[in-house]
Amino acid sequence: MKGRTIVITSGKGGVGKTTATANLGTALAMRGHSVVVIDTDIGLRNLDVIMGLENRIVYDLVNVIEGKCRLRQAMIQDKNRLELYLIPAAQTRDKDSITPEQLKGLCAELENDFDFILIDCPAGIEQGFKNAVAAAGEAIIVTTPEVSAIRDADRVIGLLEASGLHRPKLIINRISPDMVKRGDMMGQEDVESLLAVEVIGLVPADERTVAAANRGIPAVHDGRSTAGAAFKRIAARIDGEEVPLQQLDARPGMFNRLRDMVGIKGRAYSHA
Amino acid sequence: MGWVVVIAESSAVGAEAPPTEAKQQPAVLIKGRGTGVAFNLDENASLEEVARELDCQLAGRSTLFSKGGITINTGNRTLSEDEEEEIRRIFREKSGLKIARFVSLAGATAEEEPNEAALPEAESIGILPPTEEPPVRRVRSNPAPLSEFSSADLARALSGLSSQGQRTREQAKVVRGTVRSGETVEHPGDLVILGDVNPGSEILAEGDIIVMGSLKGLPHAGAFGDNKAAVIALEIAAPRLRIGGAEANAPASGGASARNRRQSSPAQQPQIAYIRQGKIHLSPFAGRFARYTKGVPYEG
Repeated sequence: MKGRTIVITSGKGGVGKTTATANLGTALAMRGHSVVVIDTDIGLRNLDVIMGLENRIVYDLVNVIEGKCRLRQAMIQDKNRLELYLIPAAQTRDKDSITPEQLKGLCAELENDFDFILIDCPAGIEQGFKNAVAAAGEAIIVTTPEVSAIRDADRVIGLLEASGLHRPKLIINRISPDMVKRGDMMGQEDVESLLAVEVIGLVPADERTVAAANRGIPAVHDGRSTAGAAFKRIAARIDGEEVPLQQLDARPGMFNRLRDMVGIKGRAYSHA
Repeated sequence: MGWVVVIAESSAVGAEAPPTEAKQQPAVLIKGRGTGVAFNLDENASLEEVARELDCQLAGRSTLFSKGGITINTGNRTLSEDEEEEIRRIFREKSGLKIARFVSLAGATAEEEPNEAALPEAESIGILPPTEEPPVRRVRSNPAPLSEFSSADLARALSGLSSQGQRTREQAKVVRGTVRSGETVEHPGDLVILGDVNPGSEILAEGDIIVMGSLKGLPHAGAFGDNKAAVIALEIAAPRLRIGGAEANAPASGGASARNRRQSSPAQQPQIAYIRQGKIHLSPFAGRFARYTKGVPYEG
């Protein structure tokens, strides 16, 4: 078995890399694949929180690389007993604690046993980015329809191509169809024409995603989350299935309904 | 369309070496010019050194300057008849070239070469602007991009000299794909981009810049000081344009909303930016060498 190592990156922070990693990893596992998600944001780890595995961390990525534990000891299984494992980042170290070659070696080892290795890349284009990118065979860029995020995505696509990762795929996160309709937000075509890369998924802005992240349960587990459904479709596309991109503005009114539904959910932040 | 290049022997002046240090100066500087080729002899170097350097320089490039008039610029030094004959002999034997004239600062012909000779050596970062206009001012107006060309680029530029010592228009570089934020494309010739030039990128060309897409990065056409260069793109939406020694900021677009941005993106007609009366103008493209009279100044 030869697994696929995919880096999830963006350049800009806060666009939803970690959320995308958690959801795609979970969705791929729900499709029956064996998946490892690796948090390479050493010093600022988040993926464990979003997956609700923070309390179970004993060993981390740096421990594995430094040989302080076996690889399997640092792999935390998902709460729902899916074939999904998390390798958390070290919180007390920094990005220079590992080298691109070390992460490459680790992923090569994992590729023998797992179908997918998803690397959650830190924001920025410095050492952490270089580490994360070196190990990957494919790349997914996450961006939001904002000029600043797109500018950074453009830079990152250039850097990925320079390091041999051609034809990255694009996830446009947090699209608000109402705003696109009013002309206040860039739509899919605008982003696509600016970045000139293939769009693999459109994720609507969905307050349930925030709530899910705060509870430590990825949105794909939430049957009513539109973003969760979008991530499931992206996972299917990664899996090689032909799923047409759902035009988010095709059904006006749905998001207003959704917002109202989410609006009455007052417990969104209860966990945090 | 004259242009001047100072070729520094890589052994004498590396890309990193500060050109101000006298020790680092090569004994011979070759400058390709519109009318021919000038050899500048370092006035501080001994004649043996100069002769040796000339030997090396000429050995590999015998055909390169074959048609151009050769000017020998001796700086502050005045050569004796014997010394002149020695240099003539080297040229005759090594390249079969005839020397048109000797020029020196001290001599009577000095005023023919005031710009080059009077140029402080510190300005010889590599590329010098054309000699028709006072070059010092020009170099100062664009120091940053000029210094970005390494000596390797210069060597390439020189190897691309036509027999007249002029840049030939064939030497275009074609970039297939998008030029993205943070990327820099430089070329000592014309530059063709088959794709968009995205915001945050820089493209520098000694000649024209042609973008088969939307130009939103920072272009500098005629980066060595060629004011006749032009920028052509399906859409020119650069925040700042540079052509030769001129620079212009984009007109204020009055708060482009996402909707405006979207609607303007399919470009109506290709555009050309060029210098007219010292100012950068923008006009619908009607051929590279058409007469443009209705262009609007590109200024904000």
